[in-house]
Amino acid sequence: MADPLSVGVNLEAFSQAISAIQALRSSVSRVFDCLKDGMRNKETLEGREKAFIAHFQDNLHSVNRDLNELERLSNLVGKPSENHPLHNSGLLSLDPVQDKTPLYSQLLQAYKWSNKLQYHAGLASGLLNQQSLKRSANQMGVSAKRRPKAQPTTLVLPPQYVDDVISRIDRMFPEMSIQLSRPNGTSAMLLVTLGKVLKVIVVMRSLFIDRTIVKGYNENVYTEDGKLDIWSKSNYQVFQKVTDHATTALLHYQLPQMPDVVVRSFMTWLRSYMKLFQAPCQRCGRFLQDGLPPTWRDFRTLEAFHDTCRQ
Amino acid sequence: MSNSRPTTNIFAAQPIQRVSQMPVAEGKSVQQTVELLTRKLEVLGAEKQGTFCVDCETYHTAASTLGSQGQTGKLMYVMHNSEYPLSCFALFENGPCLIADTNFDVLMVKLKGFFQSAKASKIETRGTRYQYCDFLVKVGTVTMGPSARGISVEVEYGPCVVASDCWSLLLEFLQSFLGSHTPGAPAVFGNRHDTVYGPADTMVQYMELFNKIRKQQQVPVAGIR
Repeated sequence: MADPLSVGVNLEAFSQAISAIQALRSSVSRVFDCLKDGMRNKETLEGREKAFIAHFQDNLHSVNRDLNELERLSNLVGKPSENHPLHNSGLLSLDPVQDKTPLYSQLLQAYKWSNKLQYHAGLASGLLNQQSLKRSANQMGVSAKRRPKAQPTTLVLPPQYVDDVISRIDRMFPEMSIQLSRPNGTSAMLLVTLGKVLKVIVVMRSLFIDRTIVKGYNENVYTEDGKLDIWSKSNYQVFQKVTDHATTALLHYQLPQMPDVVVRSFMTWLRSYMKLFQAPCQRCGRFLQDGLPPTWRDFRTLEAFHDTCRQ
Repeated sequence: MSNSRPTTNIFAAQPIQRVSQMPVAEGKSVQQTVELLTRKLEVLGAEKQGTFCVDCETYHTAASTLGSQGQTGKLMYVMHNSEYPLSCFALFENGPCLIADTNFDVLMVKLKGFFQSAKASKIETRGTRYQYCDFLVKVGTVTMGPSARGISVEVEYGPCVVASDCWSLLLEFLQSFLGSHTPGAPAVFGNRHDTVYGPADTMVQYMELFNKIRKQQQVPVAGIR
């Protein structure tokens, strides 16, 4: 199990504090023992009383000393770090029943695996691009030199970079407006409004698009507490269909080395839905097929087709 | 989109609705034509989803309020639509449409001095609703008093909120079950492009339909529908 405590904790002071607690406990129990035993047998009553009071005071002083020691040590111990590496899912580690529901360890393994996969895919694509199948191989070589070499691991991009890319794309298309928010940790959530036709919620993971949901312009995209609702589907069949197509599109536009190009191509494809209700199908020429307008947009030519009409 | 769906609209963007009158077929009664239409819809694959009712009362401005300037009295229509059960619509012929809550009817009683109800003017249409994919079709019988005067057909396309966008789509759908009786584009679509459609536009279409049906009755039996 990964240790969520980081260097904020002084482990030396921690162990000393634990022994200080034990010392405090023993001195407190000595006080009560002394009270329980009562006065020792001495010749005079005064002698007995004095001895008892002296003994009692000694014990109380030792309690006081131990308590001060403990307070001093507890100030040195420090607070454990609040930053869970996986934010809310780090709280899963608090589940005591580890063998029946090993969710947290499985989650960490899946996360590490997908990171490694992304890293290897990046390496592989770099190597494969060198052995280009196209005849115009010189193009790739030239542009590779021009592209900034300081591209960090694309999975851990600074949020500022993501913001910049998104705002640049926002400015590119006048009829499309993109709002970026980060309600759940560092992954960005975009609300794309396309004219008065539809709204798209895009959930991202650094600069990679993870999921999209397409809803109508008049549908509610927020939950009752005002947060972006990323789970509920649209009420209209046409937008449910477009959501399926959008998921296909984000699987189609893939380029591990240049994720901003991917996002731009996806947005260009999405923009072709501006005329969702006005464009007839390029194949059959009609508007409706089973009650649906042409919802498919070709990935290269952006032409409109019915779902059943596409080649 | 009807308000019976769980999500409520925050702004008044409404789906596009086209209201038209279906002429009664030769030699058949109103009832039979309605049944013909509903059967066509069911063959298409539509499902029945309850009933609807739209009614309209006419008021004209009382003579006492018309000043010495010789203004002609204006007609005001107060309408209700079962799709918006908590609202009441009040509109003038070429003028603005007011959307109020149902207490407006009570207010009209209080305004007896300014607006008087025209006699026997209540006209309404009642019928069933059908759902086909994202289309909502309402076929109703228009009645004035005890007699059936005509048939109204309303088609609503949920996903679209701008009128000019989806007219061709709606037309194609209308043609699929109305055949040759498909109407032309209504006036409300023409003047405003890119503005969001609202329930007031639907009520204006119903008002025009009811007026047309009322005028039809005033012509003595002509036999042409």
